[in-house]
Amino acid sequence: MTGNQKINNTATIDGQTVKVREGITILEAARKADIYIPTLCHLENLDSYGGCRLCVVTVKHMKGFPTACTTPLEPGMEVMTRTPELQKLRKEILEFTLSEHPFTCLVCKDKMECADFMHSTRKVSTITGCNFCTSNGDCELQDLVETLELTDIKFPISYRGIPPVKDNPFYDLDYNLCILCGRCVRICSEERNSHVLAFVERGNTTIVGTAFNESQKDAGCEFCGACVDVCPTGSISEKMGKWRGIPDRSVETSCVICPVACKMNINTSGGKIVNVGPAPGKRTNPPQLCLRGKFLPVELNHHPSRITTPLIKRDNKWVEISWKEAIAYTAGNLEKYRGTQFGIIASAQDTIEDNYTLQKFARKVMRSNNVDLHSSYAHKELLKHIHQFYSLHPPAGFLEIEKADTLLIIGSDASTSHPLLENRIRKAYNGGRRVIYAGAFPTRTSTFTTNRVLYTPGEETSFLFVLLSALVKKYGSGIPGTVSSQFKKPALQKAQEFAGISGSELEKALSILVKSRNLMIIAGDDLLRHSSPLDIFHCLVNIHFVKSRNHSCNILFPGYEGSLYGGVLSGVHPDYLPGFYSITDDRNIRKWNKNWQTRLSTTRGLSCNEMVNQIQEDGITSLLVMGDIPPHPDLANLKFLVQCNMFRTDLSEFADILLPVTDFLENEGHVLSLDGKLKKVNRAISGQGKSKSIPRVITSLAAVMQESGFSSKPADIFREIRSFIEIPYSNGKNVKSGFQPIRLKPQKKNAAYPIQVMLRHNHFKYRGNRLTDLVPGLHSITDEGVIGLSPSLMRQLKVKEGDQVRICTETGESLSISRPMPELADHSACLFSNGTDSIKLCGGIFPGTSMISARIEKA
Amino acid sequence: MAGSIPLIIEKYEPRDKGNLIQILQDVQRTEGYIPREAVEKISSHLWISKSEVFGVASFYSQFKFNPPGRHSIKICLGTACHVQGGDFLLNALKSVIDISPNETTEDGRFDLDRVACLGCCALAPVVMIDETIYSNMSVIKLKETLNQYE
Ligand code: SF4
Ligand code: SF4
Ligand code: SF4
Ligand code: FES
Ligand code: FES
Repeated sequence: MTGNQKINNTATIDGQTVKVREGITILEAARKADIYIPTLCHLENLDSYGGCRLCVVTVKHMKGFPTACTTPLEPGMEVMTRTPELQKLRKEILEFTLSEHPFTCLVCKDKMECADFMHSTRKVSTITGCNFCTSNGDCELQDLVETLELTDIKFPISYRGIPPVKDNPFYDLDYNLCILCGRCVRICSEERNSHVLAFVERGNTTIVGTAFNESQKDAGCEFCGACVDVCPTGSISEKMGKWRGIPDRSVETSCVICPVACKMNINTSGGKIVNVGPAPGKRTNPPQLCLRGKFLPVELNHHPSRITTPLIKRDNKWVEISWKEAIAYTAGNLEKYRGTQFGIIASAQDTIEDNYTLQKFARKVMRSNNVDLHSSYAHKELLKHIHQFYSLHPPAGFLEIEKADTLLIIGSDASTSHPLLENRIRKAYNGGRRVIYAGAFPTRTSTFTTNRVLYTPGEETSFLFVLLSALVKKYGSGIPGTVSSQFKKPALQKAQEFAGISGSELEKALSILVKSRNLMIIAGDDLLRHSSPLDIFHCLVNIHFVKSRNHSCNILFPGYEGSLYGGVLSGVHPDYLPGFYSITDDRNIRKWNKNWQTRLSTTRGLSCNEMVNQIQEDGITSLLVMGDIPPHPDLANLKFLVQCNMFRTDLSEFADILLPVTDFLENEGHVLSLDGKLKKVNRAISGQGKSKSIPRVITSLAAVMQESGFSSKPADIFREIRSFIEIPYSNGKNVKSGFQPIRLKPQKKNAAYPIQVMLRHNHFKYRGNRLTDLVPGLHSITDEGVIGLSPSLMRQLKVKEGDQVRICTETGESLSISRPMPELADHSACLFSNGTDSIKLCGGIFPGTSMISARIEKA
Repeated sequence: MAGSIPLIIEKYEPRDKGNLIQILQDVQRTEGYIPREAVEKISSHLWISKSEVFGVASFYSQFKFNPPGRHSIKICLGTACHVQGGDFLLNALKSVIDISPNETTEDGRFDLDRVACLGCCALAPVVMIDETIYSNMSVIKLKETLNQYE
């Protein structure tokens, strides 16, 4: 019997015996066995398409020439891949494919010496793109012509004469080079779910395009660059780096821009970045990347206005100085401000090692607990609560998202803040999962959902209360009476009224939640950046508590940007030492005094907004800023400001010295991803000019200031962190759990500021630097300084699209351009912040909540 | 007329892609063509992208994307007509009344299509305006002929 099975489980390809696995195609089996079959339309990780027919094979007892990429391998099959007949057929197919593609470059007799003759266009009879294709050397057609030994093409050259498109921000299109393999269309639809590209027209006028030839942006393009990566020809090419040649090196690292921390390959040539994306020889990155990961690192790393030498301000002019001078000058000045008048504002988009070093410097050398991330949560304890929750219930891995039967997304527009999380959500949606979106307004994310509940802005707690009641009602037995009595009918009715939700959409969503057996809750920052975030957090924990008694339930807190969580975990927080050890506990102080051989200050630190707000009263006289923060006018009163950055920004106006630091491509260390994994950041290229890493800067400062215990080597720093704290989570031993009491209260209304303005953050930021200022292409695809108004507000204010309006809050006012947003609830608005308007409207450098109460008038 | 598009679309089940072709046919029947607005509305009703809607619509020759003109010009570019200078006629139309294939003139007077053969190759090049066939056309003759249509 066993012998029989063995026979049943194998097939042969070119005489070689291969194993047959359920669902494996001939192509996959051949690749596994190292047997080469030419392909063109096939793409790993996408469904087979069977369009190009280059992968034809013969199978004994099977008629015709099946395509290997679509034909499942079956036991007993005898497959041949390289018969002369097949090679001839493939040649013909390729020739036909090329009849519409400028092919002089492919059959040119001098192609090997092309580089030498490049400019001598007379070498070929007709010039049809030969030396204008940027893919030269990275073109799959060139490879195929080579392997199939095609030397001439009998068709006349036909040039389609389609005008190239150059007005997309990051890549150019030349569909004259397109061979209609469909990879871009499929990756955009099937993998990215962006559905921007389609085959339009028919027959020989078919091209890849959009409706009515509208721009890609108007067709919903998210500029993820997936189509650029997969195109086998030069028809889609990256603007930056496309002439930098073929990469000679590729380094795998992790993106630090958002908490998804995607794995990425940095391809370089001669120490310069060519592009970010698939490793050489590959066409997809897995996982994918988003615009920020794919296109921005290249732009920033080689940016013409990057500063690469320390600069000092003398007579109001920036003067280049040596590192030695810069360090001596900075250390000398910092010496004067040791103590609580000094502070560090750090960035979440740096590694754990960088941030650990910064806070250690603040605490040990500067004797100050004023150290905070500029995008930290206004509620100082929130993250500790999340940390404790995760210690008990570690966050579900990324792949779990698609496994859940129901997703509940609350207060998150992942399409702009965490694009690759969004990608998973869309996949879950396509895979037939229930996806419930709840928020104060619809976003692009909400188009990939089965159910949508829109609540009154600011009434998040009431909304969660309604969810919780439904669950308590269902799983009531076994829940203490004190708990279930909280959810009596009158309370529930009140909550529904506050949240402004009722009707069938709500009922449907509730019943799905109740029925779900594997629920994944994604709780975004629009939810947590709230005036009473702990109430929200407790509601979520209660939902988890009730639900997980019977079924599986996970909560994922995606977080705001970069490794925010990792930054706080490594000690960048005014109240917590690394590992969330509170400085108010003497035992912790003693422990860390010993760890660091020092005497720590026990004065509680200030958050970044508090630091800036206390400059006026001389509470803070000196700051070190990592990256950039909005240029709050009070910063002018500082006695000493050090800015560590890659660029001169508006903040530099107030700075005394600018220290050039490396970016994450030039850096090493770890970040903590939103699913709680430590991800490795690897150095892909050496620092530009004289830029130094943060640990190197800090170590030199500390040395001049006669302090020891600092290392400039990320590996040493990581070892040190690990020796002191559990990372990423503690074992949860001492963490309380169970049902948390909650209070139901409507949000306070202020009659003078009746309109709820929701803040839409611009996520094009790196270390606080506004990328729209640095990368011009971003202007065309982002909104800044725009306010979306509900139709009723438009009418009430008597404004038209494009009119200027004045927004006034308790702390200040600013101007914005109005735009109708029909999907908004009555009397609400959405502010697409430009970074500086929010300083005025919220009174700090970083808005504490995602919603502000305001008055709006026509300007 | 434009007001009827939402009515046509809303008759169909939201999010059901299967009805796409039928919706397109309905729109074409009442409007005479598939306006941009319809593509947008269909896309949001069926929850598929505009590009997808347009991709499907443009695959079938029955759908047009320009409003019908008062008169329709069909210019033959079949082999015989092509050889006899059909292309020149096409260029002439561009310069005289500023129209390219699959477009309608701004004043709504003409729309223009290309056809592959009108079945009277001996008379090439051939142009058809509404139901009338004009044979052995030249650029000058074409200009004069156009003047007869209001
Ligand atoms: S960049 Fe991304 S979203 Fe845009 S067309 Fe390409 S694959 Fe689609
Ligand atoms: S643009 Fe590139 S990927 Fe897209 S169909 Fe054409 S050749 Fe294939
Ligand atoms: S999704 Fe986040 S981590 Fe991934 S490439 Fe984009 S910004 Fe980087
Ligand atoms: S690779 Fe199999 S048909 Fe294209
Ligand atoms: S080719 Fe024009 S009528 Fe036949």
